[in-house]
Amino acid sequence: MIKITNLRKSYNGIDAVNIGHLELNPGEVIGLVGNNGAGKTTLFRLILDLIRRNEGEILSKGNSITQSEDWKSYTAAYIDEGFLIDYLTPEEFFYFVGKLNQLSKADVDDFLSTYQVFFDGAILNKGKYIRDFSKGNQFKIGIIAALLGNPEILILDEPFANLDPSSQLRLVDMIKLMAMERKMCIIVSSHDINHVSEVSSRILLMEKGSIIKDILGGESAYAEMVDYFKIR
Amino acid sequence: MNLSVFLKHQWLSFWRARNANKSLAIQIILGVFYFLIFLEIAAVGIVLPFLLKEKMPNTNPISIYTSYLIYYFLIGLLARFQLQELPSLSIQPYLSQNIRRKFLLRFLNTRSLVHYINFLPLFIFIPFIIVVVAPSYGPIAAICFFIALFSLVLNNHFLNMYIKRKTINNAWFFFAVLVFIAALKGLDYFKLLSFEKASSSLFISILKYPILCLVPVGMAIFVFIVNNKYLKTHLYIEELVSENKKKESKNFTFLNRLGDIGEMIALDLKLIFRNKRPKSLVVLSAALLLYGFLFYPKYLATNNFSMLFFFALLITGIFISNYGQFLFSWQSSHFDGMMTYNTNMHQYIKAKFSLFLTVCSLQFLIASFYGLMSWRLLPIQLAAYLYSVGVNSFVTIYVSTFNYRYLDLRKSASMNFQGIGAMQWLQSLLITFGPALVFYLLDHFVGFWYAVLGVSLPGVAGLIFHESIINWLVSQFKIRKYKILEGFRER
Repeated sequence: MIKITNLRKSYNGIDAVNIGHLELNPGEVIGLVGNNGAGKTTLFRLILDLIRRNEGEILSKGNSITQSEDWKSYTAAYIDEGFLIDYLTPEEFFYFVGKLNQLSKADVDDFLSTYQVFFDGAILNKGKYIRDFSKGNQFKIGIIAALLGNPEILILDEPFANLDPSSQLRLVDMIKLMAMERKMCIIVSSHDINHVSEVSSRILLMEKGSIIKDILGGESAYAEMVDYFKIR
Repeated sequence: MNLSVFLKHQWLSFWRARNANKSLAIQIILGVFYFLIFLEIAAVGIVLPFLLKEKMPNTNPISIYTSYLIYYFLIGLLARFQLQELPSLSIQPYLSQNIRRKFLLRFLNTRSLVHYINFLPLFIFIPFIIVVVAPSYGPIAAICFFIALFSLVLNNHFLNMYIKRKTINNAWFFFAVLVFIAALKGLDYFKLLSFEKASSSLFISILKYPILCLVPVGMAIFVFIVNNKYLKTHLYIEELVSENKKKESKNFTFLNRLGDIGEMIALDLKLIFRNKRPKSLVVLSAALLLYGFLFYPKYLATNNFSMLFFFALLITGIFISNYGQFLFSWQSSHFDGMMTYNTNMHQYIKAKFSLFLTVCSLQFLIASFYGLMSWRLLPIQLAAYLYSVGVNSFVTIYVSTFNYRYLDLRKSASMNFQGIGAMQWLQSLLITFGPALVFYLLDHFVGFWYAVLGVSLPGVAGLIFHESIINWLVSQFKIRKYKILEGFRER
């Protein structure tokens, strides 16, 4: 799905991201962990072609992401509020993103109705612009909008940090289900090693821009991460 | 704790604002610009009394001056609705500190007074009072007269604050006052009721009986107290700034036919109408349509076609430079999103061009009514319109790829130079004076129709080859894409 080779991005001579080789595959849920400044968000922005890399190559389905814009049709992301058009109502935003993905209004409505539990009655028909929602609810809007186009690659930056406990648990189930049923490649960064070891099939541990551990998810991963973060 | 600490914080926040770190050259240009504006207003204030004396030697300048004061204050109130913002947010960090409410109120009130709109009237009042009023009524009356006028300024100030706080959505109120003023002026014009006379006799009675100046002082104090009382019971950020009106989702059905590009245009339209700064810029563009009434007759009389062309350019194409100066910056808060949604750059740039084309065509159609003034305006405006959409729109998009500044949509536009760089100045010069100069040279040395043709042709060429120009613009955009993204992320 995504193939990264010799990727390097540095600010003022200090490497923010430095990855020799990395391949991300369909059906994988990849948990990206690491302390602040490890380069998680920078890596996301590089994959989304939002910052210029110093060296290396990122291929998405074999095409360079800088050369072709095709990846946009099957890649969706929510990193922060910068991915929301905050002067729209949530409905307008969903219709807008839906339209860009060739979905009619009715399609979007159908889609949204399947996420009613996740929305918890706090998002739709509220008569508010997105900018007037709380951060947690903005996050929900961003995640659902990202799912709208039925993407094959989904990137979420710290989704658990801003959600309430019920939504966190629902999101864990949603992610697992999507990866399994639709063979999606989902990349999630988090500081919550509990959730991340539960949801991920593969865990990448970043430190100073490099990936220092590439392990399978699950209970043993949790123990390994605790060991790592304790001595930090 | 005293008030000066708070005011110092405000001072620091002004100078340390992210976008205040402009290059020295721009700061100097802005400084000169402010200085010129103040100088001009001061000059008007000083020249006015002499002018009144000279032009109308038979009438009393004081009675003329005072007869317009009622309109001055009403229009002043109107201007405040548009130009003056509530400084409510500035108290947010202090609300949770150990500071008495009374103190915060004093800070809010003092802070709000520091606004250029409160100082400008001084330039209009003081010279007149010194030159004209004091010699004929004596110093005490003059001082009382000044106190009365300044109280009315403060009265307007706190009235505006109060109204704005009470009715956050003040568009209706704005129009109500506008209609009210027009009605007064109408009654005056048809000599049904003379408010000018009433105004004049009111203010002159203050000069005759200086003690009457206590009436406006009392009014100002009254409004201040009402305002203060309201604030005291509503000292919650939520109640001071947020709007409680229900927002509705809108769908521009007529744009649906254009597919994704229509969707992008709808997005731009929503951006304009739901955010303060772009909204006021666009309202200004619409108001510029009226410029024709002011300037066309003058230059038609002297057959000065190049000046006519210059104003035609403003009237038909001002939207391009007004909205286009921040073309991408308007979306700076969600530009990361714009670059990852399922759309491509070609579509994005083309949507911007289509927006320009749509709005300018509308302005051109409306402006065509000026043809009733003189048929000559029709070819001039057509040429200006073609040049605007065929050349200026592309120039503006190109220049926009050099603008890396983040823009806060919710701040008002007046005297707001956030996001403005050297490129914007260059751009305005390039797209207005450039073609006007070409028109002038052709008109002067070859002939009127050649001038019309000379500026229309590049416009038509631009329209015909728009696809290839857009392709080139996309490649230019891609070169600077990361820099734009980086700049927009720096808030």
